[in-house]
Amino acid sequence: MKTNLNNRPTQFRGFGLPFLLVATFVISVLSMNLAVADEKIPRLSNGKPDFSGIWQSTSAAEYGLEPHSNRKDAPPSAGIVEGNVIPYLPQALEQKKKNFENRATDDPAVKGYTLGVPRGVYYPEPFQIFQRARDLNIVHQFGHSVRTIHTNDTDHPSLDDVNDWWLGDSRGHWENDTLVVDAKYFNDKTWLDHAGDFHSDALHIVEHWKFIDPNTIEYKATLDDAKVYSRPWNISVILHRHREKNFQLIEDYRYTLDYDQYYPPKPDKK
Amino acid sequence: MLTTSRNKLKKPFVGLLAIAGLVVGLSPANAHHAFSAEFDAGQPIEVKGVVTKFELVNPHSWLYLDVKGPDGKVTNWGFEFGAPFNLKEKGITKQTLTAGTEVTIKGYRAKSGKDFGYAVTSTLPDGRTVQTGGAQDAPAAPNAPAAVNK
Repeated sequence: MKTNLNNRPTQFRGFGLPFLLVATFVISVLSMNLAVADEKIPRLSNGKPDFSGIWQSTSAAEYGLEPHSNRKDAPPSAGIVEGNVIPYLPQALEQKKKNFENRATDDPAVKGYTLGVPRGVYYPEPFQIFQRARDLNIVHQFGHSVRTIHTNDTDHPSLDDVNDWWLGDSRGHWENDTLVVDAKYFNDKTWLDHAGDFHSDALHIVEHWKFIDPNTIEYKATLDDAKVYSRPWNISVILHRHREKNFQLIEDYRYTLDYDQYYPPKPDKK
Repeated sequence: MLTTSRNKLKKPFVGLLAIAGLVVGLSPANAHHAFSAEFDAGQPIEVKGVVTKFELVNPHSWLYLDVKGPDGKVTNWGFEFGAPFNLKEKGITKQTLTAGTEVTIKGYRAKSGKDFGYAVTSTLPDGRTVQTGGAQDAPAAPNAPAAVNK
């Protein structure tokens, strides 16, 4: 084709079109990398990432947060603890060992109690997040647990108003597309896993929830508890969205199972 | 269950339900909380000790305290309190009964015979006596409770 390009000095001839092609390619590749994760994640009308949906971890953290080989009651796991070891204080470590030995009876989950935080996040049953601008509500299939993470710029209640909550009090704020949650005011009645890892009522958790892609969340948490651990420590799991057709939570409330045999009451009390 | 095909029955049926609801609602809510299922009105006690743990829980909070017996031996007792909101209205919060606080409790012993009880009133270090019990069908504070410390 005849273009003005042919009239340019020799050293620039042929430079224009290939340069344009390369430049366009490079720019489009760069913008793809920037835009792909961002554009497609679901968002609320206020622009914040929307975590609504049903999620579940495939990790074996529930059977023991630290790395462990298989047991009769557990599959093996590479662990989800950063540094592999939970930094227990010496007395607390003794308690953990006792818990482990008695886990078949002492684990509150065996009694059907609320899993608490963060065990409910990596327990091998789904949970559903209902999210709006001012809060997220996490409904766990196991037990009758509903945890509210307030995202309305409010702080924890004053010390005159705090209770010893099973699921603590959670207050979240956004750092770009990451939800950062501060949770505390827990009771000491939940365990962190079935291996006897535990905490006191001084437990304080900072969580980070972030989309890796529209169907995957990376969940990270830092736990600190001056009565049990010698320093804060971190865990990390990946949550997958349930996409099976018509998937929904099914009630799993174990606490009443032992009482089912008495209902309906038999007239002759036999 | 009412369906549209049964519209004829709907109005009087709903009216009946409303009346039934009113009748049921007015009767005393004894089934809701049975003091006597767990605690013995015939075993009034008075306990003086040092708080080890105070759990604010709905519907019943629990206070645990170390009690020194006449033989000097220390046992840990647990006492049932009322709901956190009601306690706060009476001036008791998690900060009022921190570990180490001295408190005197008048109440009733658990039927199980274990070291548990229902707290009718609690006397705080500043001298205040607060009605901390939450059960509607619990008896009033005992006049001549058996003192566990003496």
